[in-house]
Amino acid sequence: MKKMMVMLLALVLALGMCTVYAEDASDKQYVLDKGVLVVGITDFAPMDYKDADGNWIGFDADLANAFGEYLGVKVEFVEIDWDNKILELDAKAVDCIWNGMTLTDAVKAAMETSNPYMNNAQVVVVAADKAADYQTVESLKDLTFAVEAGSAGEAEVNALGLANNPVLAQADALMEVAAGTSDAAVIDALMAAAMVGEGTSYENLTYTIGLNSEEYGVGFRKGSDLAAELNAFLVAKYEDGTLMQIAETYKVQAAVIPQVAAE
Amino acid sequence: MPLFEQIAEQMPIVFRSLNEGFLQTLKLFFVTLLGALPLGLLISFGSMSRFKPLKWLTRMFVGIIRGTPLMIQLLIFFYFPGLVLKQNIWGSGEAGRFAAASIAFIINYACYFSEIYRGGIQGIPVGQEEAGLVLGMKPGQIFFKVKLMQMVKRIVPPISNEIITLVKDTSLARIISLQEVIWAGQAFMKGSQGISGAIWPLFFTGVYYLVWNGVLSWGLGKLEKKLDYFR
Repeated sequence: MKKMMVMLLALVLALGMCTVYAEDASDKQYVLDKGVLVVGITDFAPMDYKDADGNWIGFDADLANAFGEYLGVKVEFVEIDWDNKILELDAKAVDCIWNGMTLTDAVKAAMETSNPYMNNAQVVVVAADKAADYQTVESLKDLTFAVEAGSAGEAEVNALGLANNPVLAQADALMEVAAGTSDAAVIDALMAAAMVGEGTSYENLTYTIGLNSEEYGVGFRKGSDLAAELNAFLVAKYEDGTLMQIAETYKVQAAVIPQVAAE
Repeated sequence: MPLFEQIAEQMPIVFRSLNEGFLQTLKLFFVTLLGALPLGLLISFGSMSRFKPLKWLTRMFVGIIRGTPLMIQLLIFFYFPGLVLKQNIWGSGEAGRFAAASIAFIINYACYFSEIYRGGIQGIPVGQEEAGLVLGMKPGQIFFKVKLMQMVKRIVPPISNEIITLVKDTSLARIISLQEVIWAGQAFMKGSQGISGAIWPLFFTGVYYLVWNGVLSWGLGKLEKKLDYFR
């Protein structure tokens, strides 16, 4: 038994040594050497989604492709589990998270984030026939909310002290409201605009008030020099009009945040 | 019925997407079997070894793998190299995820198989080994010529059980974002390829598992009948 413990200890030490070695100096150099920028995304229209041929398109996807061209590397999109985004980055399974990510304090602490490039809000979704009753924050206090676990919506609801059921995804939160298992949901405004109301799968739902406003950004590994690189890229593309052109393609131009060079 | 009309309309897109996902499921299934069936035999030899340290080490390993959830093992296999060793050994994209999932599944299932093999081998009456020795056979000859096929016959029912469980366990690989059939079905809840808020594709994936397990049960039943001649 003692021998086994010694062997185990030796193994742990050996693993520990490996970690000391392979610290990278520059994340940008790492990506350039590899020749490919791996972008972690989820299927999230209109930011990242598949066209009929199975190619990734959307405001974020098109911009990411342009950024790859600017760096001179290939861009590869990988669908990830949103809960695991920080893990995916740190494990180098992906090189950035570029998927309409809200810049929360938690995200900023765990990642090297770009400048915000788009405005968003967390909005309340309720059944359309009851929407008139829930136009103020005070009116929400007796409702039970469905929110995506770990989302900005959950943070807002908790901050207001409202009863809530955490679910796996924003789409599940909508399902809860449609099925009547929760009274209301809190999700991204961009998503609400695309998924509830007339002409969508949730015709009987609508969204009322926004609980906060927030901004989208791109996340890189902590300490990565790619974040500064992207900021410069965003300024250049805003100035030459490409950014707004892509935004108009996906009808999100109203939400774009103007990009100006730092002093 | 508007619901059925809607389903009929969505069917072609969903069907193509689920087929793609199920192909991944099948790939993982076959790779796991191909790796785990022989590796399991090797591990069973280790756990029956007369060399005590090897026996203990093997049994401890089997104990750890069987005693922890496969979902955790998948997470550790995929993320540990990049997080702790600072070197993602799996490569990027879908292929890397598939490789990590395959390794985790092979090791996990090999441990279960090894115990089934051990039961099968040790369950053969000791008299047969003694008879073999009296007749002047070497231990290797006794194993391959006398015990092996009897063991194979005995272990078919418990192995069948594991194989059918494996088909359904492949869905766990979605934790490291391997896009198997459940992932493909679930994508339509959130919205994918113009369909959003549809829950039926997820339920429909059950049909794929049911059909495939039906085929397997039938095949394994046949195999069992064929091996009947050993007793």
